[in-house]
Amino acid sequence: MITKFAKMFSIGAVALSALVGSARAADTVKVGVLHSLSGTMAISETSLRDIIAFTADEINAKGGVLGKKIELVVVDGASNWPLFAEKAKQLLEQDKVAVTFGCWTSVSRKSVLPVYEKNNGLLFYPVQYEGEEESKNVCYTAEAVNQQATPAVDYYLKEGKKKFYLLGTDYVYPQTTNLVLLEYLLSKGVPLANIGGGFRKDEAGKIISAGKYTPFSHTDYQQIVADIKQFAASGDACVISTLNGDTNVPFFKEYAASGLTAETCPVVSFSISEDEFRGLPADKLVGQLGCWTYFQSLATPANKKFVADFQAWLGKSTVPGIVKTGRVTCSPMVLSYDGVYLWKACVEKAGSFDVDKVRAAWQSGVSFEGPGGKVTTQKNMHLTKNVYIGETKADGQFKILNHFDNVYGEPWLKGKFK
Amino acid sequence: MNFFNRVLCLVAFFAAGVAPLLAADTARQVIVKAIVTEDSTEKRTLIASLVGQGDEAIPTLLDAWRKDLLFFYTPAEGAKIAVQLVGEKDEAGAQSAVRVDTGAPLTGPSGQPRRLVAGDLTPVDHNSSLRRAMKAVLDLLDLAAPDPAKRIQALQTIGQTQDAEKLFALEARLKLEADPHVLRILREAIALIHLKDAKTEVRLAALGELKELHTLSSTDFLKKILADAEDAKDAASASAARSALVAVERHRSAVDFFGTIFRGISTGSILLVGALGLAITFGLMRVINMAHGEMIAVGAYTTYLVQNIFGAGITIPFFGLNLHLGGLHLTGSAYQWYFIAAIPLSFLTAALAGITLERTVIQFLYRRPLESLLATWGVSLVMQQILKLMFGSNNVQVGSPTYLSGNWTVNDVLLGWNRVFVIGFGIVIVFGMWLVLTKTPLGLLIRAVMQNRAMASCMGVRTTRVNMLTFGLGSGLAGLAGAFLSQIGNVGPTLGQNYIIDSFMVVVVGGVGSIVGTVISAFSIGGIDQVLQQYLPAWAPGLGWVPGIGSFLQNLAQDAAVFGKIMVLGGIILFLQWKPSGLFSTRSRTLDE
Repeated sequence: MITKFAKMFSIGAVALSALVGSARAADTVKVGVLHSLSGTMAISETSLRDIIAFTADEINAKGGVLGKKIELVVVDGASNWPLFAEKAKQLLEQDKVAVTFGCWTSVSRKSVLPVYEKNNGLLFYPVQYEGEEESKNVCYTAEAVNQQATPAVDYYLKEGKKKFYLLGTDYVYPQTTNLVLLEYLLSKGVPLANIGGGFRKDEAGKIISAGKYTPFSHTDYQQIVADIKQFAASGDACVISTLNGDTNVPFFKEYAASGLTAETCPVVSFSISEDEFRGLPADKLVGQLGCWTYFQSLATPANKKFVADFQAWLGKSTVPGIVKTGRVTCSPMVLSYDGVYLWKACVEKAGSFDVDKVRAAWQSGVSFEGPGGKVTTQKNMHLTKNVYIGETKADGQFKILNHFDNVYGEPWLKGKFK
Repeated sequence: MNFFNRVLCLVAFFAAGVAPLLAADTARQVIVKAIVTEDSTEKRTLIASLVGQGDEAIPTLLDAWRKDLLFFYTPAEGAKIAVQLVGEKDEAGAQSAVRVDTGAPLTGPSGQPRRLVAGDLTPVDHNSSLRRAMKAVLDLLDLAAPDPAKRIQALQTIGQTQDAEKLFALEARLKLEADPHVLRILREAIALIHLKDAKTEVRLAALGELKELHTLSSTDFLKKILADAEDAKDAASASAARSALVAVERHRSAVDFFGTIFRGISTGSILLVGALGLAITFGLMRVINMAHGEMIAVGAYTTYLVQNIFGAGITIPFFGLNLHLGGLHLTGSAYQWYFIAAIPLSFLTAALAGITLERTVIQFLYRRPLESLLATWGVSLVMQQILKLMFGSNNVQVGSPTYLSGNWTVNDVLLGWNRVFVIGFGIVIVFGMWLVLTKTPLGLLIRAVMQNRAMASCMGVRTTRVNMLTFGLGSGLAGLAGAFLSQIGNVGPTLGQNYIIDSFMVVVVGGVGSIVGTVISAFSIGGIDQVLQQYLPAWAPGLGWVPGIGSFLQNLAQDAAVFGKIMVLGGIILFLQWKPSGLFSTRSRTLDE
């Protein structure tokens, strides 16, 4: 009798909750945004929160996804990697978001990864990273190493460069990228003696780390720049920099003061986009190179409309604390934007918000015409996209010098180039 | 290059500045022909025919062509015209244009100047072989440029490409070149080209010449020659190349040695200007001032403000108010003075901030050093937040004036102007401080109060005022440090955090209370740091014998910048075990020490 009652009660409860659920679900779908809005990474990550809010408004104005309006659940990772995992758990278990857009640093992604795998959630990750990872719970809209670093090397080789100096901030992304680049350069016939920065070998003599490294917030680049100057003395040399954040300021000040220029020894930086430029001395960087899958200066109608729409949206935005002046668009922002639209396309193709069905749609190959050109999803959860090489100008924008179209995103590059 | 071109070149070099007599077409017309023709060989021939012409339009036009600034414009009323875009884009994206063939502004049918937008134009294309031809013309033009730096650049490019066709031009130049630096590069370029000569004796002579010149830039070429000679079992060339390499390496080690000394002094003087203020507030007054770093930040932000006031002005949010500072809109050399103006102002603002801090917080805590540590740490957090509210949490840009961005290269040793300036400035403020402390009445009072506050007070010294002024002086010096550090690193709200540890380290090692100790410790720490950064990569492989961590030490080459610093810190810890009161300990009669 009691069991019967309990059964009836539970059925009623389920029905009721389903009813309540469907009443709410009828008009909105919850989408998580997991970025650092405070702490050291806030400078970069806040822009991604802004662009996702803009994209959600744009999609909602056109009727939403499968007839449902996007309801953003914004949480602050506070540049604290364990907190990212906590917040991810909250998004998945408490708010039950259909998808999350988030993370900037690789370490924050590594921190939330187990949470997404355990709960079978879906995370869209938009910032260039080191590869060597392929989770079915992450959609990597980010540039893989072969969509940023190796095209830049190709460009240098085409320009007749023969000597390559590797320099980076000491953490996982530069270390892994430089190892891949070392293999790539050797495979292109560049002798080891022409790769500068130094090597670290293990007991067996195998190179386990290549390039020169400095810690975060390092300020003294005198010796390193003198080293580069000697390295570049015989000509045809270039620098590949994975220096991150504000160490770029003392580096480029020292570089310019030593008389090295973009003509004698250009520097390609993988971590400086238009957004980072806002805090850098632009006059010291003129002529140096950047390599991304998007530049604000792309002269396509789609991009012009995107930039104009974003600026107009900023003007009337009511997001608290949003910076309205001096804003630019950059590759991580556009990849976030593309990500939201790709998710929408996948959901519409699957006809459902169910993670497994959305993933199946992603893996079947979905395309979107974004501001940086066409992007297409791949079976390995990455994206095929265009890669552009640009030269920095005094106004903090890039002049596009070269482009590689429809580059396939390949995360597993170690040991690939022989 | 054929004989005709060689003659043209020689004409150009011996009769520099004389207008070209041979060409019937002007240089502009030749370039237009090259632009218009479809035949790429003819294009190259036409471009090559420009070698030796002194027309000023050549570098501008070829440069514009290479940089995609030449376009075809097809007006409604006629045939297409090659134009060069000039000037700034207006709001509609239009620019004014100049005709390539005449150099006159492009005009419409009624004579009004035409403004063009990107949509009207098709760019004039070019390929790499054409670009090489243009570069060849430009390099040879630059050989006679009045600016020695430009001549050196052109010579280096020619030398590095080892292009035998340009040898005659270089040899012609050899007789005319007077500047010794340029002459050295010129001789190097000729020797490098001779390295590719078919005749062995020419190659050997070139190797001898390179040995004599021992330029760093010849290293890679010598290594290649050495490897080739060893492969070919050419003993004579191999030994000549080897001895040339030895000469270059000897020169390199001298350059590294003097470079390291300079960098050590420069790092030391940065530590010194950062720590001098603390040598007063902590060293003399014994206030553990954790807000010292923020005083540095105040100085750096003052420089930023002065830069903006000299420029376009700035609006800063200040506790809900928008504080607008109008700009002077200076340009050119007047604007460059902003940094000089910022130096005294950054001293004053930081001194004012310091005096305020002393009056409101520190004066109550002179007898309670641990509480002053906590209180000033709190103040430093508050100040960081105020800076964030006023200037945003992003770093701000402080530009370098032209007189601080550049370098002297003395015998291949780089002396950056900003570094030389900081060194000079360090000397000036140490000297100034010595003057103030020993030769002025204020200095006498400061020393009296710091040695024995109670006794000085009994003798009628107004100790509270002296305390206030001393703290102001120390904070002002921190502000000066901020002005200089803005030329070297980042300016952001957390700027002070990067320097506070170093500053305390310098003062403690030098001996608390001793200005001389602070100076010596700053230069020692800076010097050791740079020596380790420079020589660790070379020494590291030989450190395998160290028990336990040998293999770890062998791999330090890459991270020399970090490990240099770690080793300095480790050394300081050991040093303080040996001499706990630092290099120069001050003795006093007070019993509590």
